[in-house]
Amino acid sequence: MSDDNNKQDLKPQGIKGYLLPAVVVAFSFAVIYTVVVAIPNLPSLKSKPSEYAIEYIEKDKDGSIKRDSKTGKPVPNQAGRGRAIYAREGCFYCHSQFVRPQDRDFGSRVRAGDYANETPNVLGTSRTGPDLSNEGGKLPDEWHIAHLKDPRFYTPGSIMPSFSFLSDEELKDLVAYLQTLGRKRFDDPANRHIYEAYFPEADEAFWKASEHHKPNVDSAAAANAGAGIYRQNCAVCHGLNGLGNGPNALAMAKKPANFSDPKYKKYSNETWYWRVAEGVPGTRMPRWKLKLEPQQMWYLVAFLKTLPQDEKPIIEPYQSIDSAAWQSQSALPAGIVSNYEKLSAGAAKSGTGGSTNAH
Amino acid sequence: MLSAIVWLVIGMGAGLLGALEFSFPDLTKGVAQLSFTRLRPAHVNTVAFGWLSMANVGACLYIIPALCKTKLFSEKLANFSCYLWNIAIGVGFITLANGYTEGREYAEYREPIDILIVIALGSVSYNLFRTLLTRKVKKLYVSVWYIMGAFFWMPIIYIVGNRTFVAMDGLNDGILNWFYGHNILGMWFTVLGVGIAYYMLPKMSGKPIWSHSLSMFGFWTIAFFYAPTGTHHLLQSPVPEWLKALAVIFSAALVIPVISVLVNFYMTMKGSWWMLTTNMPIRFVLTGAFWYLITCIQGPFQATRGINWYIHFTQWVVGHAHAALLGTFTFFVIGALYYGIQRITGKRIYSVRLVKWHYWLLLIGFTLFFLALTIAGLQQSVGWALGYPVAQWSLTLMPMWLVRSIGGTLMFFSSCLFAYNIYMTLREQPISSALEIKVAVPIEGDSN
Repeated sequence: MSDDNNKQDLKPQGIKGYLLPAVVVAFSFAVIYTVVVAIPNLPSLKSKPSEYAIEYIEKDKDGSIKRDSKTGKPVPNQAGRGRAIYAREGCFYCHSQFVRPQDRDFGSRVRAGDYANETPNVLGTSRTGPDLSNEGGKLPDEWHIAHLKDPRFYTPGSIMPSFSFLSDEELKDLVAYLQTLGRKRFDDPANRHIYEAYFPEADEAFWKASEHHKPNVDSAAAANAGAGIYRQNCAVCHGLNGLGNGPNALAMAKKPANFSDPKYKKYSNETWYWRVAEGVPGTRMPRWKLKLEPQQMWYLVAFLKTLPQDEKPIIEPYQSIDSAAWQSQSALPAGIVSNYEKLSAGAAKSGTGGSTNAH
Repeated sequence: MLSAIVWLVIGMGAGLLGALEFSFPDLTKGVAQLSFTRLRPAHVNTVAFGWLSMANVGACLYIIPALCKTKLFSEKLANFSCYLWNIAIGVGFITLANGYTEGREYAEYREPIDILIVIALGSVSYNLFRTLLTRKVKKLYVSVWYIMGAFFWMPIIYIVGNRTFVAMDGLNDGILNWFYGHNILGMWFTVLGVGIAYYMLPKMSGKPIWSHSLSMFGFWTIAFFYAPTGTHHLLQSPVPEWLKALAVIFSAALVIPVISVLVNFYMTMKGSWWMLTTNMPIRFVLTGAFWYLITCIQGPFQATRGINWYIHFTQWVVGHAHAALLGTFTFFVIGALYYGIQRITGKRIYSVRLVKWHYWLLLIGFTLFFLALTIAGLQQSVGWALGYPVAQWSLTLMPMWLVRSIGGTLMFFSSCLFAYNIYMTLREQPISSALEIKVAVPIEGDSN
């Protein structure tokens, strides 16, 4: 009998049978809504933007928020558009945006209020690449754009995907966003001492210093001066003619750059200078600004521009570790004349190296 | 819900291509739809919602009526949810590959797809709860608790976790993101997977579960401890400390339900371990239980501050996530599928040999994959802990990316075999009439 009673109880009894489940569901939703949405959105509890929070909304001159005439939504500014691209392309899957107490080299920590204007969050949970919280201002715009298009050209060994499919406009927006990251913290004089510990002469100071005794980088005289500096400092890895085949190259996991690669035609004077000064992180290429004067680096730039750049990279591997073979091994193949030779044809030849005969 | 298998193949294909791009970064240069960052959400969502959720729901639509000794409330409604779900995943895959994303991990689907999924999910939930109300047995078996729990929590979690319904700014968005990100794992996949395994093991071994009270203890502890753990993904971020402390304590406490579940599984199998050699569904389920042990021992420990400090941000975590979703719950549900397909259709599986190939390729592939990611994670940990620039140690990870791709290839291939085997099974004539289905034999074969 009791079984029968049980069955009777379990049958839904019209609307009454659903009353309890409905109340339970409604109550759960009400609790969750209160805890998750209503309470955090109370004006007094809403996260307040800190002085370092970034603005992503276009504002008029009088400071009022510009709104779209159709939808009434705020119009994003360039950084805001860039941020949308950052989220859309999933940059946050590999780049985090919060510095942990134990992290080195990523600048100061970010506080809760710094994120107040951001949605959706791009904090990230995985770092396949570096943290970007303080990326703004570290590198020039043109470097970012070129690096997004072809990451391995600028950072050998990187596994970042190429974003060459983005339009020029999108790339500019994205870089504008990257340049805002941590920029306000960087510019705050109160924080300067933190940054100076990490980036001794970054940013404006870097370029200001570079102007010191800047020579005319298109002149034969500058190139000639650069040639000497190159042979003393660079040739042992990059080879006498910049083919990336100096004797040291034999033992390197990441081979030195081969300047005959046509990609280097795209390098501007500033990119050359920046690369020489900052080196290539993760490789044996040092930060030459620690050793050379700005003037010397500009001389180097003048010389580097004259190295032969062909349709295809000229590949002449260095085979022998015999010191006697070094001159001929490092020479250009027959028939190729470096611009440097042409440039300095009129001037007196120094007589050392740079022979056009390979063997 | 066989469409799940199709999504498994597609989702895994996307994952494999993504993995290959770690080894050959310029493989798909210039094709936006195939770049790693587009493939990743497409892979995650398709595998999680297309394959695992759909396969789990399919298994539940069989298990719940079976355990309630009644018919499903509405077959029509179930078919409707199935079509809706398939449309959502299909549209989702294409839109994600084309960059229409909400930009939030695990919650990338845009608004229309979110709404479709919520409707499908809601209708399945409604269907199952109505089935439960018309049940013919009074006492609820533990699987029913687990599965109905999942169907109660999941719509709530999905609605709270997606920006379509609840959009916040700043860190709050991050906290919600991980409330959702970890709870679809804990209060959906885990609960469904464990519920299915609780059904499969006694059913196949022909013995009752070792302890009913222990199983109920496991259910209520998981229900109590899981919800606030998500913040352990943000332990070193500027999230309030009390929230982090709560997340760490509750994450660590999850070891309690895990141990109780596993003890129950293993004690139920006591004296029946020989079944591993001949019974393929049970082999899948027990392999899943083995990975469950690994992933769930890792979990509580890596959520503690001391270990999280070192392991966070690395591929170790990616390996851990795959051990849960692939190693554990995929194995569980594959076992249930092989079992259920024979019960439901009354057909013998097309080829037991192919099932074995499927098992071994999947297991070897996944083991390689898991070890490679774990080792890569430890290498990365050293890099971050010592503060070296990424470019300095990134080359040392190359062998790991390669091994990971090899493991991925094996798993992809095994899934193709799986799909082929199921397809051929469905084409066969039933060996038994509907009456005999109840005594249909499990897949048997030589020991292997």
